Amino acid sequence: MARVTLRSLTKRYPGGVTAVDALDLEIADGEFFALLGPSGCGKTTLLRTIAGLEAATTGQVIIDDVDVTRLPPGDRDIGMVFQDYALYPHMTVQDNIAYPLKVRKVNKDERRGMAADAAGNLQLGELLERRPGQLSGGQQQRVAVARAIAYQPRLFLFDEPLSNLDAQLRVEARTFLKRLQAEIGVTTVYVTHDQSEALALADRMAVMQRGRVRQLATPEEVYRRPNSLFVASFIGSMPMNLLDAEVVDGALDIAGSRLSLPPDSAEHVTSGDRVVFGSRPEFATLHDEPVDNALEGQVAVAELLGNSYLLTVEGSGLQMRAVAAEAAPNGTRVWVTFDEANCLLYRRDDGGLVGSPRVEGDEAVDADAPRVAAARQ
Amino acid sequence: MTAAGAAVAPGNSRRVVKSVLTRIGFYVMVLLLGVFFALPMLWLLAAPFDRTPTLAAGVPDFTFDNFVRVFENPFVLPSLRNSLILALATMVLVVTAAALCAYALSRVHLPGRDILLYVLLLFSAVVSGTAAMVPLFLLIFEIGLINTHTGVVLVLAGGLMPAGIFILKDFMDSTPASYEESARVAGASALQTLRDIVVPVVRPGLAVIAVWTVVQVWGDFLIPFILLRDPELAPAAVVMFNFYTEGGQANLPLISAYSFLYSVPVVVMYLFVNRRYGFRFYGGIKR
Repeated sequence: MARVTLRSLTKRYPGGVTAVDALDLEIADGEFFALLGPSGCGKTTLLRTIAGLEAATTGQVIIDDVDVTRLPPGDRDIGMVFQDYALYPHMTVQDNIAYPLKVRKVNKDERRGMAADAAGNLQLGELLERRPGQLSGGQQQRVAVARAIAYQPRLFLFDEPLSNLDAQLRVEARTFLKRLQAEIGVTTVYVTHDQSEALALADRMAVMQRGRVRQLATPEEVYRRPNSLFVASFIGSMPMNLLDAEVVDGALDIAGSRLSLPPDSAEHVTSGDRVVFGSRPEFATLHDEPVDNALEGQVAVAELLGNSYLLTVEGSGLQMRAVAAEAAPNGTRVWVTFDEANCLLYRRDDGGLVGSPRVEGDEAVDADAPRVAAARQ
Repeated sequence: MTAAGAAVAPGNSRRVVKSVLTRIGFYVMVLLLGVFFALPMLWLLAAPFDRTPTLAAGVPDFTFDNFVRVFENPFVLPSLRNSLILALATMVLVVTAAALCAYALSRVHLPGRDILLYVLLLFSAVVSGTAAMVPLFLLIFEIGLINTHTGVVLVLAGGLMPAGIFILKDFMDSTPASYEESARVAGASALQTLRDIVVPVVRPGLAVIAVWTVVQVWGDFLIPFILLRDPELAPAAVVMFNFYTEGGQANLPLISAYSFLYSVPVVVMYLFVNRRYGFRFYGGIKR
C-alpha cells in the first residue's frame, strides 16, 4: 500500500508544450483516485510520469516518503494497465500474467501458481492456455488487470482501461474494477476522459485542464458544486444549464426574467455583477402555468432517458434542459423553476464560483467556457 | 444472334466486337510474355535430365547421368558449401545488425532519421554493385581481407543492411510501444524486453529478412568473383562460370544439372518459410 505525493511536478516536452504544470497532489493510502479531463489536458502524461515512463522536467514524485523521481519504472513497484492492454500476442494468458513474475525471478512453479490465482480471481481460469488474439475485449481487459495485480504491487495505474470496451461491457467492467480495488485495497490512480467513469469509481478525483488541476474533491462535491465553468460544463452526462445573468437589486436578471439569488451565493455578489447561472437539468421543474422565479419557454425536443424525459426548452433566446417525469408535446408553453439549493453562480470574467478566490492570468477560464457548454448542447 | 441481339443498335454491336478483339489481343500478348519467361524455367526442369541437353527446352531423353558427372567434378560440393557459408554468415550478420538498428531507429526520434534511411537505401544499391567495384576491391585489399570469406560477407552485408533496416523498421514501427512499456513497468531490462517481447513479436519480419538475405547472397556473382582468387573458396555462382568443355563451349550437361542443384535449396527454403511464417512485406498493415 502506498501514499503518492507529487511536488510541483512539471513535464515540458521538447518543442515547448507543457503537459503537466507545477502540479501538487497528495493521494492517500488505499485511495481510488481518478484523473479526469478532456484529451490533451495532461492526465495521461501525469500518469506516465508517476509510472516513470516519462521523465519529470522538474518536481518530485514521492511514493511512501521515498523520492522515486529518478527511478526507472521497474523499481517503483507499480502495476499498470494500458489503454490497449499491451498483452504480448505471442504468449498465452498464463505466460502474460506470469511475465512480470518471471522478470522478478520468481521460480517457475511459484509464478505459475500466482498467475493461476490472479486469473482465478478475475474469472480467467478457463482461458489460461489461450492467446490474447483468441479472447474478447472484456477478457483481454481482465488479463491486463490480472497481470498488473499478480505481482502484488503497492500502486496501480490505469490508463483509460475501459475505453476500448463497448458501452454495456464498460459498466460491467467498471463495477468489477471498483469491487476488486475495494477488496485488495491497493492505492489506485485511474485516468479517464469519461466523467461518468470518474464519478462512479473514484473516492476522490482531480479535474484537469491544460496541465493543471481545476478541481480536487470527492465525486459528489465535483458533481454538486463544480468550482468553475469549465468543470461545470465538463461534468454530468446531461450538460448543466449555464445561462448568462446579471445581478439586479438582490435578484438575477436572465434575459428579462427575474430569478431570486441562490441563498449561499447572495452574500458574494452585488448589483451590476455579470454572472453565469448554473443548474443541472435534474434540479429543474416544469410548470404548465406561470409561477414566480421561473423562466418561460416552449418545449423544443423531448428525449426519453428511461424512466424520465430530458426536455429542451427554448424561449427569450435561452436554451434550458430539464428532466421531467412526463414528456410534453413540442411547442408546449412551460415555466421552468430551479431548486435553489442546487443553483450556482459563476463570475463571467474568470469562470470561478462566486465567493471563491479569483483565478489569475492564463489560469482563468476564458470567456469562451460558457460557449463550450453551448456547443455541447 | 438472338432476337434481343438483333435489336441492338449497329454502333453497339461494333463496340462489342471491338471489346472482344481487344480481349483476344490482350490474352495473346500475356501468353507470349508468359512463355518467354517460362521457357528458361522449363529448360531448368528438363535439361538436367536430358541425355544430350541443348539450349532448347523439350521433353528430355531421361537420364541421371548429368548429376553423376556433376558430382565427379571436384569443385561442385565445396562450392555449394562455400555458398552456404557465405549466405548463412551474411544472414546472421544482417539480421542481427539490422534488427538492432531498426529497433533503435524506430524508437528513438533522431533528427534527420528518415533522410538518413533514404540516403542509405539509395547508396546500398551502389555499394554491392558494379559502380563500387574498384574502390571495394582496393578497400578489401588494404585491410587484408582479399581472398577471404570474411571480406565477401562484410561487403555483401554492407550492401544488404540498408534495405534490411528499412523493412524491419516498418515491422518495429507497427509494434505498439505499450508492449515494451508494460515490460519496463514490470521491471524488465532493455535486453530482456528485446529478447522476450520485441524479437518474438517481429519474428515474421526477421524471417523475411533472413530469407531475402540468403537468396541475395546465394545468387550474387560479382562480389565473390572479384574478391576471391582461390577457386576452392568460390561459391556456386562463380564456379558455374568455369564450366566449359575442352573446346571452349559451355558444358551444357554440367551446367544444367548444376543449376538444378543450385536452385533447389532456395526454393525449398522459400516454401518452408512461407508456410511457417507467411510473407508479410507490409509491416505497417495490421493483420
